[in-house]
Amino acid sequence: MAILPRNLSFSRQILPILAVIGVIVAAWYIISGQPDREIVEPAEQPPKAVGALADAPRVAGAGVVEPASEVIDIGSALSGLVTEVRVRPGDRVAQGEVLFRVDDRAARASLAQADAAISEARAAISEAMTAQRTARQQLDLYRSLTDPAAVSRAEVIRAEGEEAAATSRLGLARARLAAARAAAATARTETERLTVRAPIAGEILAVNIRPGEFVATQGGSSQPFIQMGDTDPLHVRIDIDENEVARVKLGAPAVISPRGAAELHVEAQFVRAEPQVVPKRSLTNSAAERVDVRVLQLIYALPESEDFRVGQQVDAFIAAKDGPTDAED
Amino acid sequence: MTATVSPPCDAEAAICARGIVREFEAGQSTIRVLHGIDADIRSGEMTYVVGESGSGKTTLISIMCGILYPTEGEVKVFGTDIYKLSDTELVNFRLDNIGFIFQQYNLIPSIDAASNAAVPLIAQGVPLHEARERAKVLLDKLNILDQADKLPRQLSGGQQQRVAIARALVHEPRLVVCDEPTAALDARSGRRVMDLLREVAVAPGRACIIVTHDNRIFDLADRIIVLEDGRITHDGKDMPDDH
Amino acid sequence: MLWIAIRMLTGDAQKFYGLLFGIAFSTLLITQQMTIFVNLVQRGASGVYNAPEAEVWVMDPVSRTTDVSYAMPPTALDKVRSVQGVEWAVPHLRAVANVRTKEGDLEGVGVIGVDDATLIGLPARMAKGDKSVLFAPDAVAVDDTGSLRFFPPEIDPVGQRLELNDQRAVIRGIADSIPSFTSTVVLYTRYSNALNFVPGTRNRLSFVLVGVSEGQTPSEVAARIERETGLKARTREEFAQAGIDFIIENTGIPTNFGITVFLGFVVGVAIVGLTFSLFIRDNIKQFGALKAIGVTNAKIVRMVAAQAGLVGLIGYALGVIGTVVFILAFSANPFFKGFYIPWQVPLISLVAVAIILAITGFIALRSVLKTEPAAVFR
Repeated sequence: MAILPRNLSFSRQILPILAVIGVIVAAWYIISGQPDREIVEPAEQPPKAVGALADAPRVAGAGVVEPASEVIDIGSALSGLVTEVRVRPGDRVAQGEVLFRVDDRAARASLAQADAAISEARAAISEAMTAQRTARQQLDLYRSLTDPAAVSRAEVIRAEGEEAAATSRLGLARARLAAARAAAATARTETERLTVRAPIAGEILAVNIRPGEFVATQGGSSQPFIQMGDTDPLHVRIDIDENEVARVKLGAPAVISPRGAAELHVEAQFVRAEPQVVPKRSLTNSAAERVDVRVLQLIYALPESEDFRVGQQVDAFIAAKDGPTDAED
Repeated sequence: MTATVSPPCDAEAAICARGIVREFEAGQSTIRVLHGIDADIRSGEMTYVVGESGSGKTTLISIMCGILYPTEGEVKVFGTDIYKLSDTELVNFRLDNIGFIFQQYNLIPSIDAASNAAVPLIAQGVPLHEARERAKVLLDKLNILDQADKLPRQLSGGQQQRVAIARALVHEPRLVVCDEPTAALDARSGRRVMDLLREVAVAPGRACIIVTHDNRIFDLADRIIVLEDGRITHDGKDMPDDH
Repeated sequence: MLWIAIRMLTGDAQKFYGLLFGIAFSTLLITQQMTIFVNLVQRGASGVYNAPEAEVWVMDPVSRTTDVSYAMPPTALDKVRSVQGVEWAVPHLRAVANVRTKEGDLEGVGVIGVDDATLIGLPARMAKGDKSVLFAPDAVAVDDTGSLRFFPPEIDPVGQRLELNDQRAVIRGIADSIPSFTSTVVLYTRYSNALNFVPGTRNRLSFVLVGVSEGQTPSEVAARIERETGLKARTREEFAQAGIDFIIENTGIPTNFGITVFLGFVVGVAIVGLTFSLFIRDNIKQFGALKAIGVTNAKIVRMVAAQAGLVGLIGYALGVIGTVVFILAFSANPFFKGFYIPWQVPLISLVAVAIILAITGFIALRSVLKTEPAAVFR
């Protein structure tokens, strides 16, 4: 073609060159335009079995952190207005420490009333004793008179009657005192019952009452007033699908990761397995969720750690028995 | 078929055709165009093959230059029995030994005059540039060097014919076959072309065959072969008087 | 000689450009239609490709594709996690819901619940906002189809509220996802949010997405999951293919596009065949002369092949460039989002062009090869 350089031909030279360039450009576009179908590594660490469990037979389950004592929903024996709340969430309390008080004015009034009745009874006793003594002195006087005519028979009978009346009045007053004492004791117990105390040493997990609120003993559907539990150590309750139960190596430690922090792997020690297989409790907070799977609940004790809180969801991996699972296939 | 025994080939003959029979199928029947032709073409001569349309002269010339197989007979071109060659050998034999000037010129319209003239060289594998240079030498000889870079459609008929002549001679063939070179020309131009052909195409060791029925140029022939109804009726220096 | 052949070809501009047009048109039709076809049926796999982390998809045995699925009980997740070779497994919810837009229009949308903690299952990129916006309450990320469908261009969808099955949902980001086959609007949200948005049925875990431990192949792990859990597990490629097959089996798309591609081929054969034959017929005398002069049939074949090759090269280039320009021109259209030209398609059309030229060249050559060189004397 160099023979006719002056006749640069469009169809013979420019067009094929353009075609070649066009094909190269198109090829480049096509190749660079191929979609990215690569597998992407997860940006955040998902929960996974680590260490020895990564390559060994294992059972996975989801669970919730709970106190060793389980959560104690503190109730009130009596209804009434809350007058005082002594604790805040997170407080550590000793056994018997006051948690909150319910309005005890009524109980105190009846205590005062009982005290008054005691005083009154005491007064009545002393009055009756005085009267009895007077009557007895008079009767003794009459009896010491040898002269039957010195005092009339009727006089003697009257004195005897007076003495008997005073004696019985004394008995009555004593009985009233006892009754008033009993009433005072009742009132005191009532007052005591209006003060709610910690049943065990532990941590306050939730306080749902404030002074001025009314606590009722009936109903029960409402929130617990105060939740507490023994958080040292924390336990986790892990749900294992009933189909997987046979594979679990009971007694082996579990590897626990909290939700959202899957890079944390904590080894928890086996505590016990619940004797009962129960319907799986929804962990998704959705009231509408119903499931018909049943699960075995395993309890594991967490080591001391800042990373777990009561009620937190966790993912757990537990070693499985070297059962039918083939290690290599 | 022919009763006469053909004479043996002359060793000097450029073409020696013996007992050429050619038949064409035409539907059910077979038409015999050539009836056992014996002909010799000698080198250094300008030989005319003359005949009316349908006399078989085109068929004869096609057979003699190796582009049409005869039904019977053999053709030796410069001693080579060309119809004993394989197809490819025959084609290459033509390429190396025969130059053609077609009546219609059959120039390739999209390449210039020099390239058209260089086609046989290009077909032989000569590089394009060299082939064109050699063609240009010939175009110069034919006085159309100034037209070398023009396309055939830009040339006059006579110029096209000169390009065709150049193409026939560029590879220096030993045999030049020329079909009706003067058919489209007036008497003067015709004679000029024939002069030109004699000048460039006739040389010792080179044969030139002119197929024509143009009686204006019969006097320029070295030898005239007259064909009638597939038979040679005359073979001599001059035209018989009955023509 | 090839130089002469090319000269002969380009010397007749009309036929030359006719041939180019024929080849270019065929190439364009075949390449462009196949490209659209491939992209369209690949939309069936968009759900799979939109979750780029998952190497294995686990589902109920009756589930077929990302959009045709039957939910599993929530413990399926733990079962899958228990299988050896599973590096990680996260829940994936796919459901449909109704959205009421501000204008009050009701629109069916797909809701995809991705893993709460890791957001595995989101498309690789966000068009607007960061993935972490999904941690906000009631947050959803709308896909770009939806951002265009729900909101006029002058309104920024981010921050807009939607009513999703009577629940409040706030758009916090726009996901850069491949549209689904039906171009349904998709809302991405966290799994726990999705449970709220989608009316409760008993089981709602649609899929478990699985990552494979190092040293294991997805197909090995998938087979093991199937054996040990009784669930259906598919590698990413298998599941993508399942989605594509579903479209192919359930729509008339393959037939329609197949017909068009075939028509492109036929039109190519017709135009190129006719033009090529005409071209050869016009030049038959020149070919005859060449044969007489002494050009072998083999050389003639090579000449015609060179002519066909040039026409093929330029025409094919024009057709491919046309397709590229087409795809580029429509890349802004949401319907064509993510459209690409699979590298196999231009190769297929190249083969088609070669076949067209081989057929037509052969037909045209036959007349040349049959030409008696003697014909030039007549």
